[in-house]
Amino acid sequence: MELTIYGTNALTYPHLHIWDWKIASYLFLGGLTGGALVMSAIANLRKKKTEPHDKACCVKVPLIAPFILLLGMFFIFLDVERKLNSFWFYLTFQPLSPMSWGAWGVGAVIPISFLYGLSTVPDELKHWLVFDFLKKWSKKLNPYMRRLAVINFIMGIFVGIYTGVLLSSFVARPLWNSALLPILFLNSALSTGAALVIIMARKNEVKLFFTKVDIWLILSEITLIALFFYGHYTSSASHRESIMPFFTLSNEFFPYWISILLLSIIFPLVIVLEFLEVKGEHSERLTGFEKFRMNLSALLVLVGGFIIRMALIYAGQLIKMTDKIATKF
Amino acid sequence: MGISRREFIKYAALGLAGSAALTTEVFKPLSAMGLDDDRAIVKHIPTVCEMCFWMCGAVGRVVNGRLVKLEGNPLHPKSRGRLCARGNAGMGLLYDPDRLKAPLIRTGARGENRYKKASWDEALNYVADRITKIKEKYGPEAIALFAHGSPGSYFFDLVLAMGSPNISFPSFSQCLGARNVGYELTFGEDPGSGPERVDMENSRVIAMFATHLGENMHNSQVQDFTEAVGRGAKLIVVDPRFSTAAGKADYWLQIKPGTDLALMLAWLHVLIYEKWYDEDYIKKYTEGFEELKKGVKEYTPEWAEKETEIPARLIAETARELGRYRPNVVVHPGRHYAWYGNDTQRARANALLNAVLGTWGAKGGIYLKPQVKLPSLKGKPFPETEKESVAIPDKYPFAGGEGLTNEVRRATITGDPYPIKAWLVVGTNLVKTLPNQKETLQAIKNLDLLVSIDVMPMDTTMLADVILPETTYLERHDELKKVYAKSLGIALRQPVVKPLFEVKPAWWIAKELAKRLGLEDYFPYKHLEDKLRKQAKLWNIDYDKLQRKGYHVIPNSAKPYFGPDNPPKFKTESGKINLYSKELEAYGFDPIPKYTKVEQPPQGYMRLLYGRVPMHTFTRSINNKWLWELEKENHVWINTEVARRLNIKDGEYVVLENQDGIRSNKVLAKVTERIRKDCVFLPHGFGLMSKRLSRAYLKGADDQGLITRYRIDPITGVTGMRVNFVKIVKEA
Amino acid sequence: MPKYAMVIDQRRCIGCLACIVACKRENHVPEEHYRTRVVEEIDGKAPKLRMELRSELCNHCDNPPCVYNCPTGASYKDKDGTVQINRKKCVGCKACIAACPYDARYINPEHGYADKCTFCQHRLKAGKEPACVATCIGKSRVFGDLDDPSSKVSKLLREYSSWVRLPEAGTHPRVFYIRKQSRPE
Repeated sequence: MELTIYGTNALTYPHLHIWDWKIASYLFLGGLTGGALVMSAIANLRKKKTEPHDKACCVKVPLIAPFILLLGMFFIFLDVERKLNSFWFYLTFQPLSPMSWGAWGVGAVIPISFLYGLSTVPDELKHWLVFDFLKKWSKKLNPYMRRLAVINFIMGIFVGIYTGVLLSSFVARPLWNSALLPILFLNSALSTGAALVIIMARKNEVKLFFTKVDIWLILSEITLIALFFYGHYTSSASHRESIMPFFTLSNEFFPYWISILLLSIIFPLVIVLEFLEVKGEHSERLTGFEKFRMNLSALLVLVGGFIIRMALIYAGQLIKMTDKIATKF
Repeated sequence: MGISRREFIKYAALGLAGSAALTTEVFKPLSAMGLDDDRAIVKHIPTVCEMCFWMCGAVGRVVNGRLVKLEGNPLHPKSRGRLCARGNAGMGLLYDPDRLKAPLIRTGARGENRYKKASWDEALNYVADRITKIKEKYGPEAIALFAHGSPGSYFFDLVLAMGSPNISFPSFSQCLGARNVGYELTFGEDPGSGPERVDMENSRVIAMFATHLGENMHNSQVQDFTEAVGRGAKLIVVDPRFSTAAGKADYWLQIKPGTDLALMLAWLHVLIYEKWYDEDYIKKYTEGFEELKKGVKEYTPEWAEKETEIPARLIAETARELGRYRPNVVVHPGRHYAWYGNDTQRARANALLNAVLGTWGAKGGIYLKPQVKLPSLKGKPFPETEKESVAIPDKYPFAGGEGLTNEVRRATITGDPYPIKAWLVVGTNLVKTLPNQKETLQAIKNLDLLVSIDVMPMDTTMLADVILPETTYLERHDELKKVYAKSLGIALRQPVVKPLFEVKPAWWIAKELAKRLGLEDYFPYKHLEDKLRKQAKLWNIDYDKLQRKGYHVIPNSAKPYFGPDNPPKFKTESGKINLYSKELEAYGFDPIPKYTKVEQPPQGYMRLLYGRVPMHTFTRSINNKWLWELEKENHVWINTEVARRLNIKDGEYVVLENQDGIRSNKVLAKVTERIRKDCVFLPHGFGLMSKRLSRAYLKGADDQGLITRYRIDPITGVTGMRVNFVKIVKEA
Repeated sequence: MPKYAMVIDQRRCIGCLACIVACKRENHVPEEHYRTRVVEEIDGKAPKLRMELRSELCNHCDNPPCVYNCPTGASYKDKDGTVQINRKKCVGCKACIAACPYDARYINPEHGYADKCTFCQHRLKAGKEPACVATCIGKSRVFGDLDDPSSKVSKLLREYSSWVRLPEAGTHPRVFYIRKQSRPE
């Protein structure tokens, strides 16, 4: 077929390119925040209520979580074309628009997770808070830590999943248009959240616990990715075509097949590394090498999560829903 | 905000159907335009478009003195309320920042692009002074005019008043001269030009030879054509290229370039020998049928198959289709005929097909020209010229019409029969119009004076000694335009906006020059509008109403078909159709067209075909912002298989090299099934050389630069330009 | 309220691009941006070729994904059934662009809001046809009210088999196409 089109817009032709690394970074950071909130809530909730003040064992992660999300929001702000109009997000609620849900949801998560963060700070660490009023707030919030943790667990799930819902709602973009995508994003959010906890945690037991959690998360993530591609492959022609960039070894699609290649190295490697950790007997104190191995595997999980967001954001814009099968593949 | 805002709307009502609705339309578009001005004055002014030479009726919407939109005038038969892409983009020309803004006098060498700004007085005096000197030294005929379009007419008068007969418009020699002569020899009349009087809207079968309606955007003609397509008329398109029109066709005959005459003769053969004609009609209204019958005897479809590479079966079948539905069929006369140097005979064959099918004056055929004669204003008679015009030389007995540009150029180079020392070039880019640019440049070198009157700094303009910037068609009055559609009508061009910069309308420039040459009597008006009013009065037209409506139909002027009350009568000497041309015979030419082979491309070369794209008019619209963005540079069409052999990919740059080793600018390859292997197709008008055209400069390849060879048609002297061969060089 | 729709008779499209330029001038669409386009598709091998000309624009869907995905309500379905944009409310998030299966939208380069074909709503209110329809040389673009059985669009849709772009997207377009299915020779 010979195709000539007069009157195309650069934003949509030859393929969509409205969103770039800024949105991918937001998706990653949003997911990371969501996962971090969920994992820190788990860490803090699974502790037995033995201590008098019901002290949190996971403090740093909840404290930085809202700032990670803020950074993500900053990338969104960079991407939005009419920055001064951003207030319109909050003058309306559009029940059918995942982005509207997201705007309100993220708007709520930031302050609430911040309060949660404050509530986790034990007395001996209050000096981290610098300002007196924060210290005062923290003291007041300490008793509500568990309740806040539960709320943040739920909100973490929301933040982790809504970006996937948003992308999956675009019927026009077959790669994104899959009900598995939100689950995949959530899973990736949880695994990166766990990885963050692993890196940040001081206590060996916490590190080890989340390493175990991470193994299961990575295993399910690999399964989800495989199912995601399989689902597309067996779906409509546009869906099938939309995953082809990942499996086409050409210069044009280098970023896509290389990202699949990287993921298929990274995730198994993470599993192996993490298995090595949980399998072995650990002394009270972890050796430097053991810590390094643990942190490395966690870091790899973060890298993997970022690759997934980047690859999906870019690849999702390459192929659109069409009634004509392009001759590209 | 809508409420508090005060808007004063002064509305120059058109008085058209639906104009009541027009008045209420003002608020929204203003807010859409983001005009913050409290007071918006909106006017709708009818005028005549000249983005191309079809000259449709247009209506300009002017807000606060700025033209914001152009629409077709529903009263004008050439637009019928619609404008093509170019017509819609008129403000792109009007507001082009690259426009010529003030008179310029050359300070450097020709082509060096060094000019000084001059006042009108200075520039006009300079030109008048130089012309006077040339006149004194060489005689008035040393001054020649090349023109195209409306502004030409004033300079036509000026040059005739000077006493020079050397006037030529490329529209004859590089376009439709051969066609008109071929039809005149047959029917005693040409088939009309702008519009061609082809009754496609009523045709049952339409055959077209390389007539690319759709790519060639002649508004009303294309409207008629789509009407026919929509109605389901049978369409036979003969073209080496799968043109847009071919895309609509029932039969696409992918003819070998240069063999059209063979197909026409074979069709004549089928029509005559299978008796697809009306014997009675032939007997009553034609002369020389037996000779024609004898003449086409040998041209069987089987013979033509070998020449044209179209299956004989299809040749016969398409001829029968035409025969079956005659006379409500038409073989479109086409327009651009300057192909192979045998073009008059091809035009004759085309006319003969229409003659045998009896289409002249038939519904769905070629309708008749309105017969009303309008009196002309009496002016001072032009002086007798002392010498013969070089534009219409004796050696080409049927040269005429708008004259032979190529002959004027030849005479300028050789000085034979007498020297030509000054060119006035009005609205035509000669370098890109005439074949073999070397000759054009050589001729220009021989000149003592080259004056260019133009809107844009085109290639030829920027070789001139003096450049006189003209207004666009949106800023000026022009002569009342007679429109020969089915009815005769009169269209008014009037300014839609005031002239920008220091530009002046052509009539003013011509008149001012005349004044300085002592020829003011030939321009007996202060403002052209005085003349228009006088003329309107003479023709019984209410000028004020014409100003409001833009178009006036001469009542009862339509008589499109022959019929019982209007029996067929032709404008030939005998009143009959000349199937056999005694006139041609008298000058030693074939009285019945005979097939002649054209030269075929040598090994490794392909024939260079050129043509149009719908969004551009020659070279003149390429720099127009709103058209340029749709086609920034041209593509050379290369057959898929050829491209595979040469390892050329679609969308990659290539260079064309012609048989004389001339190379083109780099050009994008369009690799396509839509063209034959033995030719390439290059849209005309691109690859402009004038640096002052910021958008168009050196974009795409110039077909005319590759047309270094041309053949002269011995009957009319027009140039055949499809005789060049190119090979494709991959860009280094 | 009328139910506006456009029928594009592809048989009559001649690819002249008048619609594109008329649209751009009517609506002051910035340079190199378009609200409507013309697609030319060639299929087959010479001499058996087929050409399809198709002008494309916003489909003013009855089930518009751009409206559903707009987080601020800037994109909305108007009472006359057209899909419109309230520029004031647009934040330029581009979700509507991603959502549109027809690539009908662009971002205004100067002001950042999403923009697209309005069916020339300002002209409709003044009783005129959209600019592209008014100038269409081949009368290929036909506009009218689906609720009016005597309108040109209703007549055409009754008379011919029509199709819409990407029906599987579930958008229920209001731009219908009529094309010739085959060509004997």
